[in-house]
Amino acid sequence: MIIVNYIASVLLIVLGLYTICFKKHLIKIVIGMGIIDYGINLLLVSIGFNDGGTAPIYSMSDLLNGVSATFFVDPVPQALTLTSIVIGACVDAMALALVIMIYRKYKSVNADDVRRLRG
Amino acid sequence: MKLKKGIKEKNIIVKCAADKFLPFAVVFGLYIIMFGTISPGGGFQGGVLVASAALLIYLGYGYDAARNSIDPEVTRVNEAMGATLYVCLALLGLAVGANFCRNVFYQNGAIGDMISAGTITFMGYAVGYKVLTGVGFLLMLMLSLLAPDGDEGEGEEQ
Amino acid sequence: MMQHFPVLAVMVLFLGAFLVEIFGSKSRLTRNIIALAAASLSFVFIAALVKPVMIDGQIISYWMGNWTPVEGYAIGIGYEIDQLNLFFALLVVLTFLLSGIYSIRYMEKDRHLGHYYTLYLMLSGGVLGLVLTGDMFNMFVMVEIMTFAAVALTAFRNNGRGALEAAFKYLVIGSIGSSMTLTGIALLYMQCHTLSMAQISAMLAKGLSPTGIMALALIFIGFGVKSFIVPFHAPAADAYAAAPTSISMIFSGMVNKAGVYGMIRIVYTVFQAMDLEPMSLLLVFLGTITMFIGVTMALAQHDFKRLLAFHSISQIGYVITAVGLGTALGITGGLFHAMNHTLFKGLLFLCAGAVLYRTGTTDLDKLGGLSKKMPKTAICFLVGAFSISGLPPFNGFASKWMVYQATYSKAVETGNFAYALVTVIAVVVSVMTLASFIKVTQAVFFGQLPESCENVTEVPLSMRIPMWIMSALCIFGGVCYGFVNKYLLAPATEAAINVSRYIDVMMGDGYAASYGVVDMTVAPAGFSYWDPLVWLVLFIVVLLAFCIVIVTGRNTRGEVLEAKPELVDPKYDTFFSGEESMHSHVGGSDLFWGFRTDWKGYFDFMQGMHSGIVNDYAIWAVTATGCAALFMFLFIH
Repeated sequence: MIIVNYIASVLLIVLGLYTICFKKHLIKIVIGMGIIDYGINLLLVSIGFNDGGTAPIYSMSDLLNGVSATFFVDPVPQALTLTSIVIGACVDAMALALVIMIYRKYKSVNADDVRRLRG
Repeated sequence: MKLKKGIKEKNIIVKCAADKFLPFAVVFGLYIIMFGTISPGGGFQGGVLVASAALLIYLGYGYDAARNSIDPEVTRVNEAMGATLYVCLALLGLAVGANFCRNVFYQNGAIGDMISAGTITFMGYAVGYKVLTGVGFLLMLMLSLLAPDGDEGEGEEQ
Repeated sequence: MMQHFPVLAVMVLFLGAFLVEIFGSKSRLTRNIIALAAASLSFVFIAALVKPVMIDGQIISYWMGNWTPVEGYAIGIGYEIDQLNLFFALLVVLTFLLSGIYSIRYMEKDRHLGHYYTLYLMLSGGVLGLVLTGDMFNMFVMVEIMTFAAVALTAFRNNGRGALEAAFKYLVIGSIGSSMTLTGIALLYMQCHTLSMAQISAMLAKGLSPTGIMALALIFIGFGVKSFIVPFHAPAADAYAAAPTSISMIFSGMVNKAGVYGMIRIVYTVFQAMDLEPMSLLLVFLGTITMFIGVTMALAQHDFKRLLAFHSISQIGYVITAVGLGTALGITGGLFHAMNHTLFKGLLFLCAGAVLYRTGTTDLDKLGGLSKKMPKTAICFLVGAFSISGLPPFNGFASKWMVYQATYSKAVETGNFAYALVTVIAVVVSVMTLASFIKVTQAVFFGQLPESCENVTEVPLSMRIPMWIMSALCIFGGVCYGFVNKYLLAPATEAAINVSRYIDVMMGDGYAASYGVVDMTVAPAGFSYWDPLVWLVLFIVVLLAFCIVIVTGRNTRGEVLEAKPELVDPKYDTFFSGEESMHSHVGGSDLFWGFRTDWKGYFDFMQGMHSGIVNDYAIWAVTATGCAALFMFLFIH
C-alpha cells in the first residue's frame, strides 16, 4: 500500500484527461493520451506490491538449497503492465500517423479547423 | 565507410558515435531476447533495443543508408512470419493432446540453462523476432517522412 | 475435440491475417482465397458448437495451457462458452462472413488490399475473442485489438471526405473508453486478486465495497463507449459514414454488439448488479435518451450513411433499455432486438454500399429514382426499411413488440409511471424511424432520375448474395419467431440469469454455494395476449379492407386543364408555371422540412452540440463518467 504512488497515478490520469479536453493542438491531444496510459501503468504496478517482498524470481542459491517459498511481490500485475505499455506505444504510433496525414490534407493541426464532418 | 555519390556527409562526431553504439545495441538486444526466461527482459524489451539500430543508422548516415540496409518490404513479411511462428508453437499443445498454449517439453535441460523452459523459450524468441522487425518497420515508415526532397515516402498508414 | 473449437475459431482468424500479410501482397487470388477460407473455417467451428451448447445445454469450460484452478484459486486464462456467449458468437461470425463475400467485388478498385484483408481478419478475430473469453484482462486486450483495427479501417480510404478526421476522433474517444476499462480492471484486481470472471463473481456476491462500485462504474462506462450510447455517440456517426461500406456493416453489426455483450456480462454476471434498483434506472435512462436523440438527429441528415449511423445508435438504445429492465422478458426482447438489428442494419448498409458503388455518391440531394435501374437492390432495401420501422411480418415488429411488452409489464408490476413513459417514447421513436425511412426511400429509390445517374446498372452477383441471405433471415425471424425464441433466445436468457451455474462449471461444483451466490428470481417469459401472430392477422385484415376500399371507390381526381395555344395572351404568362422539358429535382433532405422548422430551437441546439471538434466529444465523455460514478456512489451501498 504505497499512498504516494496511488496519488501520483490519479494526478497523472486527471492531467491527461484535462489535456485531451481543453488543448487544441492535435499533438498535445496525443501527448494527453500518452499521459493517461502512463498513469494507469503506475497504478497497475503499484497494486502488486507486498511490503517486504523481493523480486518474483527464483535465484540459483534458493533452488540449489531446495527453498521453495520466498516472500515475493505479485508477478501478475507486472505482466499486465508490460502488455499495457505495448498497447500504449501502439496507440501513440497510430495517433501520430493520423496526425501527420491530417496535416498533409488539411494544412493545419488545430482541432478547430479539423471539423468537416459535423451536424 | 565510402558513401555513394550524392549522399550528404553527416557530422563526424555523430557518425563515430553511431558506429560505436550500433554493434552494442544489436548484441545486447539479442542477449536480452535469448536469455528471456532466466533473467529480466524477454521478447518485447529486447526487440525494441535491436530495432533502435534503425534510428542509429539514420542518425549517423542519413535516410538513404538506412533505407538501403533495412528494406521495408522484407521487414514486413518477416514480421508476419514471426507471428505465424508464435501461433504454430501455441498450436503444438493441441498436437500433443492437451489444451492450447500448453508448455510441451519443459523437462529437458537443467535449471539455469538457456533452453530449459520448453515451449516458452521458443515463444519468447518468436515474440522477440516479431517485435524487432515490427518496430523496425514502424521506425522506417516514420523516418520516410523526413526523407530529403525528391524521395517523399508514401506515408501510408499501418 | 469439441472443446478446442472456440479457441481454434479465434486463432484461425489471426493466422489468416498473418498469412495474408506474407502471401497476399502479390496475387489477388491468393489473398481472397486465404481470407474467405479463414472466415468460413471460423464459421464452421462456431456452427458446430450449436448442437452441444444451445440444444443440449452443456457449457464448455476450457483453461489455456491446462492451468486449472489450484486450491480454489484461478490462475489461468479461461474460456467459457455458455449459451449467451454462443448467441453473440453466431451473430458475429455470420456478419463477418457475409461482409467478406461482399467485399470481394466492392473493394476491387482500391489499392493496398493486402492491408485491408489483414485488418478485416484482425477485427473479426478481436471481436470473436471478446465474446468467447472468460477472463477480464483477455477481454480488455481483445477490445484494444478491435479498436485499432477499426480505426485503421475507418481511415482506409484516406482520400475520402473526412475519413482521416473520423478515424482520429474515433481513436481519441475510444482510447478514453479503453483507459477507463483498464482502470476499472486494475481496481477489480486490487479487490479480488484474480482475473477470472467466474471467481470474481463469486467473491462479489455478498455486496460491493466502494472499490467495487468505482470499478463497476468505470468498466460500465468503458463498454458504453464501445457500444456508442448517447454521450459517446458522436464519433460513431463520423466513422460509419467514412469507412468503406463492407466495414460499416461490421461496425454496426458486430462492434456495437460486442459492447452490448460486455455490458450484459459485467452487470449481470460479474457484479450481479441487476438486483440494485439504481443500476436498472441508469440503464433505462441512458437507453431512452439514446433512442430519442438518435432518431431526431437522423431526420436532419443529408448523407445516406450518416443517417443510417444515427439510426443504428437509436436501435442500440432499444436494446439497452430492454436489457436494463432486469426481467426475463426484457432480456429476451433485448437479445432478440440485437439479433434483428444486426440483420436489418447490415442489409441497409449493404444496399447503401451498392448505391455508392454504382453511382459514386451518398448525398441524398443528388440521388433519385434508382429503383428503375437497380430493382433488386430496391426490393432488399424495402425489406430492410420495413424491418427497422417495425412493420409486420418482418422481424423488427416481433422484437419491438416484445420490448414494448417488457417495459409496459414492468410499469404494471412496479407501479412506477416512468416505465410507461418509456413505452410511449419507444413507440414514438418507432414512428419517427418509419418517417425517416420513407424520406430515404423516396429520395434514393423513387422520384426522378437525375442525369448523372443515367448509366447506373445493377450490382454484380457476389454483392447481391449477402443481401438476399439477410433479407431471407429478416423474413424468417419475423414469421417463425417462436422457433427463434425456443432455440436461441430462451437458452441465452437463462444463461444470463443463472450465475451460479456459470461459476460452478469453471471452478468446480459447490464453489458458488460456498460463497453464498444467490440467483436472481425472475418469472419466465411468455407471449400471452400480446402474441405477434394475432396482430399480424389483424394487420393483414386491415390491409385487405384498405385495398378493397381503394379499388371499388370512384376515381374523382380532378383533371388538368391544358392551355390551348390560340387562347394564350402574353399578359397571362406569369400565371402558367413550369416548363415541360425542364428537370426539377426535389432534394431528399428537404422532406419533413416542416417538422424541422417547428422544432428549430431543438435542432439548432443539437446540431451545434455535434460541432465536430474532438475536445467537445471528450468533454462529454469525461462528464458522463463523472456523473455515472457520482450517481452510483450516492445511491448504491
